[in-house]
Amino acid sequence: MNGPVKRRDFLKMMGVSGVGGTLAGCDLPSTVTLEEGKEDVVSYFMPEEYVIPGVGVWFASTCLQCDAGCGIHGRVREGRFLKVEGNPDSPINKGKTCQMGQAGVQSHYNPDRITQPMMREGGKLIAVSWEQANSALKQKLSNAGKKIGWFTGTISGHQSALITNYLDAVDASTESHFTHDVVNAAVWQAVNKDMLGDSMPELHMDKAALILSFGADFLGTWVSPVHFAGKWGEFRSAEAGAGRGTLIQVESKMTLTGGNADLWVPAKSGSEGAIALGLVNYVIKNSPNAGNNISSEQQNLISSYSLEKVAQIAGTSQDYIKRIGDALIKRSPSLVLAGASVEGHEHGYDAVAAIMLLNIVLGNVGKTIQPSNATPFPQLQAKPGNTRDLIEFTNAAKSKKFDVVFFSGSNPVFTAPDSLGLKDALGNVGFKVAVSTFPDETTMQADLVLPLSSYAEDWGTHVPAYQEDRNIVAVQQPLMNNLYSDTKGLGDILLDLLKDKKPDEYGSYKDYYAYLQDAIKTLRGSSSIKEPEAGDLQFWNKTLKTGLIDVADQKNTFASTISTENVTIKLPEEKTDSAYPYQLAPVARLGLYDGRHANLPWLQESPDQISKVVWDSWAEMHPNTAKKIGVSHGDLIEVASENGSIKLKAYIIKGVHPDTIAIPLGQGHEEFGRYAKGLGVNPLKILTARTDSKTGELAMYATRVKVTALGKEDVFVRLGGNDTQVGRKFVRTIPVEVLKRTEGA
Amino acid sequence: MKALKYLLASTLVAVIYIAGPGQSPALAVDAIPPGGSHDGVDVPQPIEFPHDIHVEVNKINCMYCHTYARRSKVAGIPPTSKCMGCHKIIATDKPRIQKLTEYWTKGESPKWKKVHDLPDFVHFTHERHIKRFVFDQDFPVEDVKEVCAFCHGQVKNMTVAHKVKPLNMGWCVSCHEANGGPGDCWKCHK
Repeated sequence: MNGPVKRRDFLKMMGVSGVGGTLAGCDLPSTVTLEEGKEDVVSYFMPEEYVIPGVGVWFASTCLQCDAGCGIHGRVREGRFLKVEGNPDSPINKGKTCQMGQAGVQSHYNPDRITQPMMREGGKLIAVSWEQANSALKQKLSNAGKKIGWFTGTISGHQSALITNYLDAVDASTESHFTHDVVNAAVWQAVNKDMLGDSMPELHMDKAALILSFGADFLGTWVSPVHFAGKWGEFRSAEAGAGRGTLIQVESKMTLTGGNADLWVPAKSGSEGAIALGLVNYVIKNSPNAGNNISSEQQNLISSYSLEKVAQIAGTSQDYIKRIGDALIKRSPSLVLAGASVEGHEHGYDAVAAIMLLNIVLGNVGKTIQPSNATPFPQLQAKPGNTRDLIEFTNAAKSKKFDVVFFSGSNPVFTAPDSLGLKDALGNVGFKVAVSTFPDETTMQADLVLPLSSYAEDWGTHVPAYQEDRNIVAVQQPLMNNLYSDTKGLGDILLDLLKDKKPDEYGSYKDYYAYLQDAIKTLRGSSSIKEPEAGDLQFWNKTLKTGLIDVADQKNTFASTISTENVTIKLPEEKTDSAYPYQLAPVARLGLYDGRHANLPWLQESPDQISKVVWDSWAEMHPNTAKKIGVSHGDLIEVASENGSIKLKAYIIKGVHPDTIAIPLGQGHEEFGRYAKGLGVNPLKILTARTDSKTGELAMYATRVKVTALGKEDVFVRLGGNDTQVGRKFVRTIPVEVLKRTEGA
Repeated sequence: MKALKYLLASTLVAVIYIAGPGQSPALAVDAIPPGGSHDGVDVPQPIEFPHDIHVEVNKINCMYCHTYARRSKVAGIPPTSKCMGCHKIIATDKPRIQKLTEYWTKGESPKWKKVHDLPDFVHFTHERHIKRFVFDQDFPVEDVKEVCAFCHGQVKNMTVAHKVKPLNMGWCVSCHEANGGPGDCWKCHK
């Protein structure tokens, strides 16, 4: 019925609109209808009984957008995975998800996914068949002998166990498995291990009356953000045991968590340890209840940290520190946390230890900090990613320790500072195999690329590193068939490698699905399962239905005497450098995270929680600093360290310490598909590769920079205009005293 | 002048419609069926499925095959397994059934062509309409074809389906107005 309206049609249409009793010449129904017989409609062949076209079915699985291990329900309709919601059964996220979890759909349907194996020929990656890829790989592996390594992100569960078994099978040591993540809590874990005897203790925010967080962005990126967001709700509830909790955040750059704090204290990154010791000193002097299990040596150290000295080191007001001290004494139990900005220094370990000392003195250990559950399956335990492995791998590669290295779930070429020399070191690895979903920087350096299925197409088990309340193994099941027939799951690729080496042990498994079924049967038989059901099949079905396996509680115990004597705390004077006057804070944020989500348009489009900038990079600086340098909002600047420079826009904001230049992580991709490539800059590139003296972790906040103004920049895309109410009182407020007087409150 | 003529003529038609709502006197359903007509094109299908034999001759209910209509937004094309439930035995000598059996042995479903389609920005649900016009007023389910015919015409007389109603917005709205259906934009455009 396209084209001019025929008279007959016109009459018909008028008739139709007349049924309702209305008639108006200008209210003609449109004559445009869809053409008939153009679209295909294919029925199911023999569907499951529960399948109804047009009605979604929800399957339980596990989110892999970060390493927290949240349980998800994926909505599947007509064989397509369409939506993510949280799994209410999961003790990690209790039915909630974050924006990164929601954007998982875009990762799965991303148009830049790798769809077939690729091999380097004449310097270029050329598409090859799986047969060609496998035969090349087989030859390289047999020549490599035991000089084989694996480089992954945080990994756990049976995939991790298979990597260990594979390295075992080729006689390579387990140290040939490197786990690397820029966003981590490695130093926090090391300190906990040494001081408490438990590397990831449970943090009971709901029992705390006060949280003092030194740069731990637990609502954004720290350890298990969705879990802590739930606990935060309980902590803030007036009905909670201790009443509405108070949050004090001390950091050099306001994070999402900092933005929610009752008191936000700007302090130089690297001074947190000194502040903690100053607070220990203040608490011991002013509170009769403070613990006194402190060695005399430490007592001497602590007593040298007066509030005045601490305030001077931190570059903040003494009044703030005193207010924190008073709050800690008044509100008990409390919980003191240490995040990336504390860890990222050469004395990072000492600073975190000082913060844990504060917890001990305040009597928080045993109240808000409690022993965690041990997993009865140590081979499935999480191997948390860190930056020490990145450095160790670089050194090993430099000394030509590996002939074949597999890369999966980590993008070290993007995250490694230039000064580390990883890119050159990779030249010494004979054959680099990328097992990858996307053409990221590391994948594009590889000699062989194996196309990995998306997380919504793959099987797996995951043991979240941080668990509270309940002890689980999270199960990941495919939410739909492979979008591209040539992609393979990580477990399947590992199983193929193992079948080659140990045909007797692994030859009988048709695929990773069969392996996992058998492995879960073994778990069921281990007596560590809470509800093992009547039979293997029933247990398997329940596992798929709930998306997790409940494991019997088996609490770790803290060291019998929680003492600070097993650590010595040494806090060096701050190094200043007139040539590089500012501290660089490379901050991770909920959204692009460490850069792994820069190819998801939803997350590029969601504004940064503090600056509200989209699709870009920016450098946050204090108004006074901006005045000193001579830049205004949106100006182009150059931020240079000893190891390189980047150009980006200045963002003037009070939520940053005057000595700090904060640049968010995530942008500056040279590869990684159409949405990520060529946007913004990567601050990790200009880091100076210093390390924490005790753990060997990269000191990410220890780089000093200088800033040069480069003039005006025309476009700065952000949501919202002003950070103030411009004197218009959009939100009306009155002083507390007035309220008390007038309302009698 | 010409326009005036159209206007007069259409007014006349409108009056006739208003005077005689519910053209089908035999219909017990409490509804004013939509009027209008559409001269649909012939859509060749992989198998010339005879609706007439199934509905008119063998008296099979629409919702026996289009079983999702009462449960979902789409009525659904029956799964191939459902066809073969009968046709493993019935009419196996007929060429159309032999063609179906070929699909079945290959493990494929026929690629039918869509006859009644709506744009992606229109949310239409069969479930709600069947509820309103059949279950909510205890209309006998065995006569459901009379309700289906509101929008699909007398499919019982067709072989393969043929579009005989416009299925455009004005047409939908007119029926919603006549029968007290929701008039909010977002009811369909959501």
